[in-house]
Amino acid sequence: MAGFADLNLPQGPDKKSLQSLLEAAAHLGYSAVALNHVIDFKEKKQEIIKPVSPSELFPSLPIVQGTSKRIKVLTRLTLVVSDPSHCNLLRSTSANIRLYDIIAVFPKTEKLFHIACTTLDVDLVCINVTEKLPFYFRRPPVNMAIDRGIYFELLYTPAIKDSTMRRYTISNAISLMQICKGKNIVISSAAERPLELRGPYDVANLGLLFGLSESEAKAAVSTNCRATMLHGETRKTACGVVYTVKKPRKVEEEETTVPACKKAKTQA
Amino acid sequence: MAARAEPPPAAFERRVLRSAARHHYLRVRLELPDGGARPNAAQFKQLVVSALRELHGEVGAALPVDVLTYEEKTLSAILRVISSGLVKLWSALTLLGFYQNRRCAFRVLQTSPFLLALSGNSRELVLD
Repeated sequence: MAGFADLNLPQGPDKKSLQSLLEAAAHLGYSAVALNHVIDFKEKKQEIIKPVSPSELFPSLPIVQGTSKRIKVLTRLTLVVSDPSHCNLLRSTSANIRLYDIIAVFPKTEKLFHIACTTLDVDLVCINVTEKLPFYFRRPPVNMAIDRGIYFELLYTPAIKDSTMRRYTISNAISLMQICKGKNIVISSAAERPLELRGPYDVANLGLLFGLSESEAKAAVSTNCRATMLHGETRKTACGVVYTVKKPRKVEEEETTVPACKKAKTQA
Repeated sequence: MAARAEPPPAAFERRVLRSAARHHYLRVRLELPDGGARPNAAQFKQLVVSALRELHGEVGAALPVDVLTYEEKTLSAILRVISSGLVKLWSALTLLGFYQNRRCAFRVLQTSPFLLALSGNSRELVLD
């Protein structure tokens, strides 16, 4: 079975709170989390910075409860787009974007939703849960996104905080389910505190509230998350098959012995 | 040659019971950050019912839920609910965020249609 994963933990500036979040997630049973860096283009021009490698941030990762492996921490970038010109950043193949493991887009208009589902190179399309959707989902772009392997993300932490958001979350989720029939859904938290996290089976139960079937709800926390992570990995490879890894450069020693090729010639 | 008498065909009856258990049992723990009064048993039951009312309305609050045991020291309890109401109760507990304006979280530790299954928890076992 694919391990449980929570693909949206907002990355704040405070390292200690992130560490406590990670420990809470590992204690609840999540095998992988993704630290989310949100870029909003409405504010003044923001630069996409290189993702901080999790091994630098956290010297020791906590062990997932129930296994003996450490929790896996990935990096994720979310672009909040409200204008078609913002998407150019994704197409420009800037070096910094390719360093993130998962790329998500948060479309604010129907046209952008269509563009994100059909042409953009992303792994996740975020569905707004904090306000009434300004557009209705239509079947053609949603079906194309499902064919391309793009997943739709729903958040559950706003539903914990506020009762109005609860209604919007459930209503937006139900209208999405009507169109996509429960396929390609990922449910994640956007928890800023350890108390806002919920265990993976609790989140799978929330999927039942949204109208998923039992197997689809459990897949929304486990299988679909793993598929998203793999989809992000294929972006770093060629055709999903060939990897390039940077090998650490060995310091060149002073060569006192004769180089190998010359030796072969003299021997013969 | 006389035909060997065949043994009478075996008769058996197979009964398949789908979700025959009438109740589901949940072991839950309320996580409250330290400081402040802890709820007693009556307040805990009221908290569960108010969580159901917030999410599922009056019909949800009328769901037959019983608190079988409650420990104030660890804030853990065993709840019993009718099987058809398990999803409602579980989702209501998951989405509860506040107790008396303090942040809290319900952690569902075990759930089973049999009360005996709640006695052992393999997640509490530690490797030596």
